[in-house]
Amino acid sequence: MEVKEKAKEICPTTTLGRVQQGALLVDVREKEEVAELAYDVPNIMNIPLSIFEENFTQIPQDREVIMVCRSGGRSLKASYFLMNHGYTHVINMQHGMLRWAEKGFPTKGSVQVQNTQSGECCSPSATPTNSSCCSPKSDGSSCC
Amino acid sequence: MKSIKILGTGCAKCKQMDAIVRQVVSEIGMEANIQKVEDIQEIMEYNVLSTPVLVIDEKVTIKGRVPTASEVKALLS
Repeated sequence: MEVKEKAKEICPTTTLGRVQQGALLVDVREKEEVAELAYDVPNIMNIPLSIFEENFTQIPQDREVIMVCRSGGRSLKASYFLMNHGYTHVINMQHGMLRWAEKGFPTKGSVQVQNTQSGECCSPSATPTNSSCCSPKSDGSSCC
Repeated sequence: MKSIKILGTGCAKCKQMDAIVRQVVSEIGMEANIQKVEDIQEIMEYNVLSTPVLVIDEKVTIKGRVPTASEVKALLS
């Protein structure tokens, strides 16, 4: 059994602020998903969840990393996986690309493609909502 | 009594594994505590990235696929 500490989570708005301050985004979606629509930020790595176990050591341990995916489910798994391997500066972004794109944050590719995909593999938060409770000062713990 | 856990966030494959395990347990008449675990934090206590996962007596036996009934039977006997 591994550590039982709860993963830290933030919303897309807080994530954008952290990225602008130098945090590294780690996208765990598969290559085809990223080819369709990608996060357009300066510091980003793509390590698909399907090959995450073999490649996670590429992620630096000494800087803040924010895990992202389509809706926040896969990235939460990856966050716990990293915590289990001793990473201490890991944060999960809730609601993933769905909310990121909905808010008009920087992307490369077709937002329409993203909106028509199924959310099967990214529960529990696969369905976007219209709430706009995130502020740049929010820690994301109770928003979005 | 055997402790059996099916780890999965609610996808179709997780439901299939759950159904197969319950069917086998009932067929062989085994006394078992079967639990379906859907909480990601609880799932990640086993440090597994691909689901569904079959845990028998706290040991991960199958991960990332749906087993056959005979496979489950062999694991339980």
